[in-house]
Parts: sequence; structure tokens; C-alpha cells
Amino acid sequence: MNEELDSQLSAMFDDELAPAECELLARRLSRDGQLKARWGRYAVVGAVIRAERGLRLNAPLAGRVSAVLLAEPALAAQSAPQGARRRGLRWWQPVAAGGLAAAVAAVSILWLRAQLPPGIPAGGQLASAQPAAAPRFPGAGALPASVTGVAAPGERYVVPHSSAGPAMVVPSTELANYVVAHSMFSSPVARRNLLSAFMTSEPAAAGAEEAQDDAKSAAH
Amino acid sequence: MSADVSDLSLVHRVQRGDKGAFDALVLKYQHKLVKLVMRYVRNPAEAEDIAQEAFIKAYRALPQFRGDSAFYTWLYRIAINTAKNAVVSRDRSPIEYNIDASSDESYEMQGRMKDSETPEGLVLTDEIRSTVNAAIDALPEDLRTAIVLRELEGLSYEDIAAAMDCPVGTVRSRIFRAREAIDRRLREVFEGGLGRAEELG
Repeated sequence: MNEELDSQLSAMFDDELAPAECELLARRLSRDGQLKARWGRYAVVGAVIRAERGLRLNAPLAGRVSAVLLAEPALAAQSAPQGARRRGLRWWQPVAAGGLAAAVAAVSILWLRAQLPPGIPAGGQLASAQPAAAPRFPGAGALPASVTGVAAPGERYVVPHSSAGPAMVVPSTELANYVVAHSMFSSPVARRNLLSAFMTSEPAAAGAEEAQDDAKSAAH
Repeated sequence: MSADVSDLSLVHRVQRGDKGAFDALVLKYQHKLVKLVMRYVRNPAEAEDIAQEAFIKAYRALPQFRGDSAFYTWLYRIAINTAKNAVVSRDRSPIEYNIDASSDESYEMQGRMKDSETPEGLVLTDEIRSTVNAAIDALPEDLRTAIVLRELEGLSYEDIAAAMDCPVGTVRSRIFRAREAIDRRLREVFEGGLGRAEELG
């Protein structure tokens, strides 16, 4: 037996051998019966020095374990089919992920369509209206009114789009007509106040409404 | 030297399908494991059975061993759990022993008597023990001190070098030469069988 090899074996038994040498010697140890027997006797020497009583030192246990493990599949062979199965299942994972993403997108589109009011076609008209509105208030983008404290000319008449919840688009002209049509149920003072509020909120219609109101007052 | 390197190199070989590497781990730890199990069961034959079961469990669980702890710590944990389970199942079993279990000697004898090979095995064990002890007594002082500090006290080569005031390489050489001298006699006992040690005197 090679003395250097045995010296390495002794050091490996004590966990005092360099890792690279351990790798090489572990391979040899697992195959070389004589080396393994020597390794086992080193263990016996240690057990005797430690005076471990009640133990049988002729090592029947190692032989019994080895005999049982003969019937066991090797660990690498055990794990190989699992790896192959994983590889086999791997192909459908991107397909499933794509399908799931498409389903989520379809549900989102259908939900958005359901949320839109009946008069507005789907297809991003609100989005296209925003760039058109921007030139109307050239100074609006520079600094917000909340920062300057002074509203830009005309800005105070603009009702910003509400981003929360579905937009209830009811033109104020229609609302005014509705109020006028049902004016018999309200007092004249309240009706006038309400109409005044509409006129100030919609300058274009204000003149016509005012004239109409004056005519009605004159008639009464 | 990093701890557990040699065990890990063997463990990795087992994980790659090399059963022979597991034999080396069993050979290295079988005595320690049986001794550990005997804290739970005093019957040596039963302790060996439990240790065997623990080794087989460890082999089957080895793919899950990631090296977060030392291999022997992991193995010891398996052995302790196996021993505890064995004690619980034994306590539930209806088998009753007529031997007085309160007596350590009778309890140990009960276990020994269960093993048909025990008388010869015991004699061989005694022979091995006396051979090793005789070989250690015959060692030069420096070799004997080095091997005893290593095996009995569990000191690292570096600590032994400090204790013996010599280089680590010398410690390694002394321990190896001590083992070689003991092994020379021990090999004859193992290969020659029962009675060979007495002839060697």
C-alpha cells in the first residue's frame, strides 16, 4: 500500500485533508475494498481509545447496512426520472402563462366596455379628447393653480374629468331644460337660483336662458 | 482546515449515485451512532438495529441534505429520532420480558442473549480491544500522545501541534504512524479471525 495514500487517508479520517485531495481520495475510497477496510479499522481504533463499552467492534453493522442498500436504487438514479418528468412538463408552462395573460386581458376589456355609458363608443375617445383640450389652456401645464394660487383665465369654468367611477355625462343644458319643465313643482325663487347657477356654469347657454327667463317673467 | 470536508466529499459522491461512498460513512460513524442510541435503549442488539435503520433512513434522505449542518449532526438527529420512535413503539408492544428491567446487568444480558452470534462476537470484540490497547501501549510516547489527543480529546491537528509544540505536518505524520502501528496488529486480528490476537501476544 502506498504510504502517502495511507497518510492522506488518516488525515481525511480526521477531517484534516485539503478539499481537493478529499475529492480524489473519496472516489478511491468508495471503490477500493482494502482502503475501505483500513478506514473501518481506523474507526475501531478510535472506538477503543474512547473506551466505548458495549459495542461490538467487528463491524457487523456496516455489512448489514450495505446489504440492505444493495436492494436500494442509487440516489442519482432515483432523482433522474424526477428531473426528466420536470423537463417533460416544462413545455406547457409558457403556453399556460400566455393563455392566462390573454384571459386576464380579455376580461379587463369586457369589464371596461361594461363600465362605459351607452352613448360613448369604446375605443379611446376620452384619450383623444385630452390632447385637444390641452391647447385651450396653454398656461395650465406650467404650474398648477394649487401652487400659484391664481387660476388661469377660463380655468375656473372647467370641471375636471373625474377619474374615479363611471362618468355620468349629463349636459347642463338638458339638466336646465329638465328643471324648467318641472318648474311647476318648485318655488319661483328656488327655480331662479338654480337657473342662475346653470347659466354661470355654461356661458354659451347663459344668454339664451336669461332671455327665456326674462320673457317668462314678463309674461307672468 | 474546514470542518466536515471529508464527510461532504463522501456525501456528494453518494448523492451522485456512489453507494460505496456511503459504506465509508457507515464505517466511520457506526460505533458513535450505536453508542448514541444506547442512551435510549440499553440492549446492544436493539441499538444496532436502530442504528442500522437510522443509516438507511439517512441514505434515503440524503438527496435532501444540503450541507447546512455537519453531516454527523444531521445523522445524529436522525438516529435520535429513530431511537425515540423505537422506544415508543416498543413500549406500546404487548411483548413482556421476564427479566428484571431494573437491573442494568440483566437488561444488557437480555439484549446480548437475543443475538445468536453474541458469544463469539463478544470474544472477538474483547480481542480487538486488548490488541488495540496493547498496540497503543507499545507506541513511542510522541505517537501515543498524538493519537490519544486526537481520538480521546478530539483536538484538531493545529491544537495538537500547539500542545506538543511541533509543526502541524509532524502531528499528521505522528498520528498516521500511530495508526499504522496499531492497524498492523489489528489487521491480523480481523483477517486471522478469533484467537489470532492471543497468538500475537
